[in-house]
Amino acid sequence: MKALWQPTLLAVLLIAAGCATTSKPKVALTGDIMVDAPNAIANGPPRDRVLWQYRLAAAAMRRGQYNVAKQNLDDALLTLGGIYGKDADAKKARSYFHAEAKKTFIGEPYERCMAYIYRGIIYWMDGEPDNARACFRSAEFEDSDTANHKYAGDWVLPEYLDGFITTQLGGDGADAFKRAQADARGVNLPPYNPKANALFFVEFGPGPIKYATGRYKEELRFRTAPSPVASAELRVDSLQIPIAPTDDVSFQATTRGGRVMDHILGNKAVFKSTTDTAGNVALVGGLATAAASNDRTVQGVGLGIALAGLVSKAVSAATVPAADTRSWDNLPRYLSFVSVPLPAGQHVATFQFLDTGGQVMPSLTKTITVNITTTDRDKVVFVSDTSVTPQTL
Amino acid sequence: MKSLLTKLTIPVCSVALLALASGCASSGVKNPSGVPVTHMNADEQGFVAGTGMESQDLVMVTDKMARSILGIPQIANAPTPPTIVLEPVDNQTRFPINKEIFLTRIRAQLNSKATGKVVFLARSQMEALEKERNRKREGAVTSSSDPNVQEFKGADYFLTGTLQGMSTRTKAGTSDYILYNFHLIDARTSAIVWEDMAEMKKQGLEDAAYR
Repeated sequence: MKALWQPTLLAVLLIAAGCATTSKPKVALTGDIMVDAPNAIANGPPRDRVLWQYRLAAAAMRRGQYNVAKQNLDDALLTLGGIYGKDADAKKARSYFHAEAKKTFIGEPYERCMAYIYRGIIYWMDGEPDNARACFRSAEFEDSDTANHKYAGDWVLPEYLDGFITTQLGGDGADAFKRAQADARGVNLPPYNPKANALFFVEFGPGPIKYATGRYKEELRFRTAPSPVASAELRVDSLQIPIAPTDDVSFQATTRGGRVMDHILGNKAVFKSTTDTAGNVALVGGLATAAASNDRTVQGVGLGIALAGLVSKAVSAATVPAADTRSWDNLPRYLSFVSVPLPAGQHVATFQFLDTGGQVMPSLTKTITVNITTTDRDKVVFVSDTSVTPQTL
Repeated sequence: MKSLLTKLTIPVCSVALLALASGCASSGVKNPSGVPVTHMNADEQGFVAGTGMESQDLVMVTDKMARSILGIPQIANAPTPPTIVLEPVDNQTRFPINKEIFLTRIRAQLNSKATGKVVFLARSQMEALEKERNRKREGAVTSSSDPNVQEFKGADYFLTGTLQGMSTRTKAGTSDYILYNFHLIDARTSAIVWEDMAEMKKQGLEDAAYR
């Protein structure tokens, strides 16, 4: 039995090594994103920083706190732009014994696209349409490497707005318009109106959430709750404009196709399963061999095999193939856009959100007082079915 | 039995350790650790951190433009220093940037390296300057010259630029090409009297965990 201390110790060490390392205490959540997000950004794991920055930015935009959104999106996009090359946490995420969630969160392509779209809206609000266009181009670019090329770069709004801004700046936006129309899937996009100076970005419905399936939760999936809001309507001055969805964020999430990381997680799952099975066989077989024989040599061999089985079981237990299900969970489902020419002065814009039957959902109605001080610069308004109301911009 | 057990245990555990240490869930994935971003001129390769515009690009581009401007006859042989107004750069790339920084650095280079060769007009400050002139005209503040005389200078040239890009993204990585173009426009005739450009190409591949 003395001879067993070495393998026993080794097995214990292996099991201990496979156990989760001591983790930092989780940041306590209050349920208020405007409190939780800054706290998590400051005190939470660095690998979740971008996730909380995204969430905070979306929430801030719906509260009209565009400076907060700008600051967090800028920092998040800096992280996104510097992901090239060696990354120790990403390497760990690919290893057998660390979860995918070990890596720094930057989001799946649809989440990165939304970060650029939101930042682009804020640039436009700040009177920098060309930087806004740059963001919309980056948004489209983030979607350009899909498994099925049919869905590559098929966001409508960023492409449409690329051409809109180019037209406003005196260039030719026709190509961008054609690409946007080709991806619009049955929606007739309005032609560009260079005289339109009031631009309304509209979002509504709950966005996609990630979850995992598979024996070891290694398969990343997306779930989207049915949207109670199907469309919207804008009333401003004498205008009454229906607003249909232009982009479906859930569609973008689910049509990106397989990831390289899915292949890695699949390998992890196979390894976990194989070592588990091998461990069972060795454990049972070894113990049975040892028990069935009176020969000490055979007993020794049996015990050795059983120990090897124990080691294999420990390795299997320590293998983590689980997919990363961290989600930018306050994204919208649908995006849309309206542009109208409005004279200088004060205008009250009312947004009504309609259900699938075309009925107004009164509790979601938003009122925004828009002050247009000059027609030389665009007035950009962002409104969500979850925005605070009323607002004055 | 003791020696046999020892003989068996060590190899068995060693094999297990080897399996742990050498196993890689990334098998079958090309370049799983990613490839550092490559800094590229139009015809050669290098390494930088991101594929967008960075400080070293700004320095290289603006140094080149400043040297180039000073060599043109309209500047070098001008009887009096020409006046230049900076017009915002047109960003047509996919990278949001601080657009003023390029012209600011070119202006700073010209002012520091070629003092007196050109004069830049602070058109961004016109509102404040006009307010001050009006105060002088009203007698609200003193003036060292006759405030009723029109002394604001007109521009001889406009200096502006365009940044354009071409981007590619595939499973092999991301590639970004940026063309930096700057030109000097005669304010009287609209002729482009000077133009120069710099181009940069960068590529990189992120870790497989992000693909």
